[in-house]
Amino acid sequence: MSLPIIPYLQEIARLEWLHKFFFVRTAPLVTPSYSRGFPELTNKTCTHALFCMMACPAPGAIDVIKTPDGWEPRIHKGHCIRCGLCVEACPNGVLTSGRILESMFNDSTRLSFSFRIDVDTNLCMGCGNCAVACPVNKLIDTQMAYGGRASTDQLLLKVSDGKCHVLHAELCTGCKTCENHCPNEAIRVSRLLEAVQIAEVEP
Amino acid sequence: MNVLQSVKNLVRSKSIHVAYVDVGSCNGCDIEVLACLSPRYDIEQYGIYVHNNPREADILLVIGAYTPGWEEKLHTLWEKIPDPKVAIAVGNCPISGCLFNRPHSLIDPPVSKHIPISAEVPGCPPRPTEILTAVLSVAPIVFKDYEVSKR
Amino acid sequence: MKRTVDVSVPLGPIHPCFKEPARVKCETKGEYVLSAEVELGYMKKGIERIMRGRPWQEVMFLAERVCGICSVIHNMVFIEALEQISAISVPERAALLRVIANELDRMQSHILANFSYCYTIEHETLGMYLLDVRERVMDELERITGARVTCAYIVPGGVRFDIRSQDVLHLRANLAAIEGEVTRYMRMFESGPLIGLRSKGVGILTREAALEAYAVGPTARASGMPDIDRRLRHPTYKTLGFTPVSRTEGDNYARIMVRFQEVLESIAIIRRCLDLLPVGPIRGGGIPGIGEIAYSGEAPRGELSYYIKTDAAGRVVDISIQTPSIMNIEACCHYMLKGVPSLADVSSTFVSADPCIACTER
Repeated sequence: MSLPIIPYLQEIARLEWLHKFFFVRTAPLVTPSYSRGFPELTNKTCTHALFCMMACPAPGAIDVIKTPDGWEPRIHKGHCIRCGLCVEACPNGVLTSGRILESMFNDSTRLSFSFRIDVDTNLCMGCGNCAVACPVNKLIDTQMAYGGRASTDQLLLKVSDGKCHVLHAELCTGCKTCENHCPNEAIRVSRLLEAVQIAEVEP
Repeated sequence: MNVLQSVKNLVRSKSIHVAYVDVGSCNGCDIEVLACLSPRYDIEQYGIYVHNNPREADILLVIGAYTPGWEEKLHTLWEKIPDPKVAIAVGNCPISGCLFNRPHSLIDPPVSKHIPISAEVPGCPPRPTEILTAVLSVAPIVFKDYEVSKR
Repeated sequence: MKRTVDVSVPLGPIHPCFKEPARVKCETKGEYVLSAEVELGYMKKGIERIMRGRPWQEVMFLAERVCGICSVIHNMVFIEALEQISAISVPERAALLRVIANELDRMQSHILANFSYCYTIEHETLGMYLLDVRERVMDELERITGARVTCAYIVPGGVRFDIRSQDVLHLRANLAAIEGEVTRYMRMFESGPLIGLRSKGVGILTREAALEAYAVGPTARASGMPDIDRRLRHPTYKTLGFTPVSRTEGDNYARIMVRFQEVLESIAIIRRCLDLLPVGPIRGGGIPGIGEIAYSGEAPRGELSYYIKTDAAGRVVDISIQTPSIMNIEACCHYMLKGVPSLADVSSTFVSADPCIACTER
């Protein structure tokens, strides 16, 4: 009866076993390098294209802030979901997270933005708020910056015949200022995100 | 008194009972808390026991973004936990509402409006190591000299 | 007729065995359960209301967060529905990579379900073994997609990251190890006498009852309905040629065994994908357009359906999601729990149907 218990007790009484029982912990676990963490800054210069903020699916997760050294994206922990879309959308590679930048470089993948402006002609009153507010218009035609009349046809938005017309949609930067200034919700900007892979160009 | 207090401090930092409550999350943080139990992370080697019973818990892990179904219930649950007690918000949902904090949503974040939260673990979901570190670092600080600081 | 009810026992919403809040009310006579009903509504967030009027890059993440356990399939079904609407074609390599990520996700979900069943019947050793295997699967998922749980891997026209050659080697080696361990645990589960006492003949769902309750997924396949698997209708899975698992007993034991066998089936599917993986692009591009569609796929818990209506700019105008758990919870409460021999079996039977409350209520 007592015989089988003796080797068992001997096993427990070994110092090695006792040491293991009381002190051994699992190895400290490190986060692997390929895991997508919170995006971190690289040394590249931010050009304030704001594609990171447009791609971000989480409300209030990323802001681009003006510092003495220039623009700088800021990630807000507690809002950021670590999806890595901002890293992929950035045209300059300002942010990095996990192996996203590396795989973008290897596979030449990226997220490209295009913008589309829809004007509902039934709702549009031709007030011109959108054309005056548009920052692209202000750059092209300085008169527009002071609420004046349009002097050229190279504009993004122009009011003629009592309706707003989109003349050069490719100039749009997707800021949605026009949408916010429209009193009638007649204009809508949609940010179309496309996941593309550009085939390598043979030299 | 001092000896008794130091014994209490030691015991409280070496034996932590955890309950978790899911107040409307997506399950992602839920299974990361479960993954803490696994032999890889082994939460029990640090003396942390996940019981899921509020009446014997020291730490409440709050997961999720406070849905209407939990009004009053979360507060009742919080009162059932004996003192000293701590609540830790795990994941983005209890901190900010995560993706669900949009117009027309039914949730009411943050959870700190409803019960006192002492620590937050950001991430959607946080890794098990991050949850583990948070629990381990909060417990000794909060429970230390509880009787003295209460007075 | 007046029924004799001894006591009505509520389980939950906070219960040591339930990982998520749900309340099961059992009307009992002694230990014998006469009937049960479930009370839901603790997790309603209104995701479908938030989704409306948003472009795909936001809805994709919301769709993932309908259910955190089976997030890849929600992502996959939503994106494939958008692709069907606007006729976006997917490169072959990307389609196979999607299947790999999806099957890894299915494996970890099934192993987690089996863990919670073993934990509920107090077989903690087997449960911990299973959790250890699950960590290996999560490692592989993280190695390919970059995140453990909500991967955000599938985008319209392809996938986000390519699989590297060293990842393929790692995946193959790990799959062999996982297969060995899962086979061993499956044998332990098959031959364990105490497990048999708690599982065999408990919570029986007959084929007729499963048809009546519209049970889906492993719950239905354990009751002898193999053709319920939506993967049989998926174009990529069709080329891989797999046979769905099914058993005929319909009790707790059969449901857990079906999940074990499906894990092995998934390993075989991933191996076949790795063999077939061609060299080529992983993204084809493409912007979603206008249209409307109802599309479904096979989640780890059963059939998952999305109804989506988009406008010209690709924004989601109307969406409705039907998740598998609601049918399984119905089958569980109204058919399985009736006549369960003791109250202790209520929680284990409920867990064996693998209810996911988060995706039931959204």
